[in-house]
Amino acid sequence: MGSASGMIGRWAVITGLAFTVSVAAARADITTERSASILIFPKLVFDSKGVQTGIPVDTIIQISNTSNSMVFAHCFYVNAAPPDPTHPPGPTNVPIWQEVDFEIFLTKQQPTHWVLSTGRLDDPTDNKSCNTDCSNAGFDPGRIPPAGNDPFTGELKCIEVDSSGAPINGNHLKGEATIVTTDGRADASKYNAVGVLGLNTDLNSNNSDNLLCLGGGVSPSCPNGAEYNACPQTLILNHFAENATDPVIEALGNGMGGKSLVSTELTLVPCTEDFENQAIPSVVVQFLITNEFEAQFSTSTTVTCWGNFRLNTIGAIGRILEVGTLGTRFAQTRIFPAGDDQPGVIGVAEEFHSQPTGAGAKPIISRAAENLHGEGARPLGDIIQLPGAF
Amino acid sequence: MIRAGRSASVMGHLVRAVCVGVVLFCGVANSALADVASDQAAAILIFPKVLVDTATPPNTKRGPIDTLIRVSNTSEKPISLFCFYINANGHCKNAPTTICDPYDRSGPCGQTDVCEAGWHETDFLVTLSPRQPIAWLASVGAAPCDDSSPAGVPCFPFAVSGQPPNKIQPVSEDPFVGELKCIAANFDGVPVDRNDLKGEAELVRSSTTPNQLLDVEVYNAIGIPAITGANDGDTKLVLGGGMCTGGSRNGSTCASVSACPGGRCTAEYSGCPNILILDHFFDGATDPVTGKQVTTTLTLVPCSEDFEAQASVPIVVQVLEFNEFEQRFSTSTSVTCFRDFKLTDIDASTPDRSLFSATVMGTLTGQTRFRGVVGKDPRYGYTLLGVAEEFRKDGGTAAFNLHFNGSRPDSDYMYLPH
Repeated sequence: MGSASGMIGRWAVITGLAFTVSVAAARADITTERSASILIFPKLVFDSKGVQTGIPVDTIIQISNTSNSMVFAHCFYVNAAPPDPTHPPGPTNVPIWQEVDFEIFLTKQQPTHWVLSTGRLDDPTDNKSCNTDCSNAGFDPGRIPPAGNDPFTGELKCIEVDSSGAPINGNHLKGEATIVTTDGRADASKYNAVGVLGLNTDLNSNNSDNLLCLGGGVSPSCPNGAEYNACPQTLILNHFAENATDPVIEALGNGMGGKSLVSTELTLVPCTEDFENQAIPSVVVQFLITNEFEAQFSTSTTVTCWGNFRLNTIGAIGRILEVGTLGTRFAQTRIFPAGDDQPGVIGVAEEFHSQPTGAGAKPIISRAAENLHGEGARPLGDIIQLPGAF
Repeated sequence: MIRAGRSASVMGHLVRAVCVGVVLFCGVANSALADVASDQAAAILIFPKVLVDTATPPNTKRGPIDTLIRVSNTSEKPISLFCFYINANGHCKNAPTTICDPYDRSGPCGQTDVCEAGWHETDFLVTLSPRQPIAWLASVGAAPCDDSSPAGVPCFPFAVSGQPPNKIQPVSEDPFVGELKCIAANFDGVPVDRNDLKGEAELVRSSTTPNQLLDVEVYNAIGIPAITGANDGDTKLVLGGGMCTGGSRNGSTCASVSACPGGRCTAEYSGCPNILILDHFFDGATDPVTGKQVTTTLTLVPCSEDFEAQASVPIVVQVLEFNEFEQRFSTSTSVTCFRDFKLTDIDASTPDRSLFSATVMGTLTGQTRFRGVVGKDPRYGYTLLGVAEEFRKDGGTAAFNLHFNGSRPDSDYMYLPH
């Protein structure tokens, strides 16, 4: 009997393991087009005077509740601006990496918005319909602080919680960010927030503690295993080689001499965050580039907390992404952490197209953001540690 | 006997344990079915909006504009794409060279003529080597690079060994409004269950006269994943809503091959979403950063296509909208084959009377849901896909992908030419 029970037990364990493996394999995707429990806006920029790029810019954030119940979210700005905004971040200009958090609530199906530079007041006197200036009309989602710096560069993470502030796997949030230039041209660039789905199965449910387990298996930190989908193993970006010409501008809009140019800016943030200990996550990121000849190149860089860089500045040999080196106008780049023990990364890309306007004149620049593709799942998972109770 | 009985009992437990495991595993496999997505590689790529107007001066309000299509193979094996341009231009019945919008009654055909929809399809086959990215301009297509290739125009520098060189024809008209659908296929053009394609479309508006103008926007192609092992290689593609044929679960619904032991699941690809969700500024709202007026256009295309019969059915679209006061409104419209429209065109001829006007809704932003209503023709699925564009008056434009919600029990179908 004991032998039979043992045998059954072993079969049950094997079956359970197979099931667990299959569950782990099922947690394969983040999303930019489904409601989720964690929203990540990898790129927020505010620069009222154009100190950093010469063009003043701000970001409009939109979040909406896709459910028929009230939804609460705990949001975290991560301020990655360098102390000296006139110089790029580096060893002598270490970014601030300061976290500021706040809570929002949304009624049934409610959309809301705010501007990064100003935040939003929780002002009961503006809860009325508007005719012209609608910027604060509607139910305020709560007091939203303005960006902590001018210029500000960084990210926003919002985590769905219940009314007590405990994380839940509701998958009720969607969001978008619109980066708008304020130089008179009002150029706009928009991307969908990256969503991480909360899991809701018998084996994978949220225990509502302050450790959010994104993918991975059972561990001391994650006794219930994964509570959310894993971050992707690989991000995929189709892009122009750096400083390649834009064929449409060359055909339609280049009558002033000179060449059009295209450059791509990539923003990457680690999936792992420790908002309790304010520990700065760091990840070595590998890049595998394939050009139109199917020739492959690779390079790497390190992302600490928040990375934002033009492709041709990646690592020591980032110049391979220049069109002259790459040899073709278009490329596919696969982006992945250097090892399974590294945090996962997610991100967004933004293209800058430049049209010449004549000798000595500043070119016109137009920007366009795009969400990256994801592939696979990080096998060991990531953890977001929220601040504990006081 | 007792031992045998116990053994039988043990075996019974084992069988039950294994069965439970298999059922659980299959259940998980079912739930693991990939969704339609624009952020994952897939077997069918849909570019809902392709615009071309390269004339000087331009023939349309959007011109001069062209679309750069980018596609790449994310796998380490070569793959082909069977692609279909759908020309959504209408033409005046009595002046067939005059291009018009079939949905616009105030167009160039005047009071005594009608705008006839064409919905003409043209197709091509192109092959990608492992991990290869390619791109082409919708206005000119692309051909193998050689000494006569025009400078600055994308061409194909490389061909897969043993395969004919790629050649993509330009869109059939200039100006052109329409969509592009591409299906993963083998070298003979037979659909295959490989989720290895990703793509983007760049709408680039550029000119030097009368003013310097540049406006670039990008959206991701929408991907429909294939169900591994389910593709029967015929010209009728079944998207979602599968049914077991044969085997122990004959007649039951299914979403994967493993759900039909001994039989097969008719679904070959994931189903299209039941609902599309759009977060947007209400039309005429003032951008809180730039002070410019914002309007949004939406492009909707059906998930079902009949490229063989060149036929299409109208789909009634129910629209449910919420403003920032949680107030709920609804209206409806219809889409046949392709429709590109301002939100305020859905329900009113005067924009400031529309449910999508900021002055009517009283808040800056809204959340709107779009649902295709199931019709009577069982050859179609009546789901929709789309992309949105946000315009700032005298400012820039930004395209973005919609959100998806749910799936349907019914299938959508794509009928390819024989």
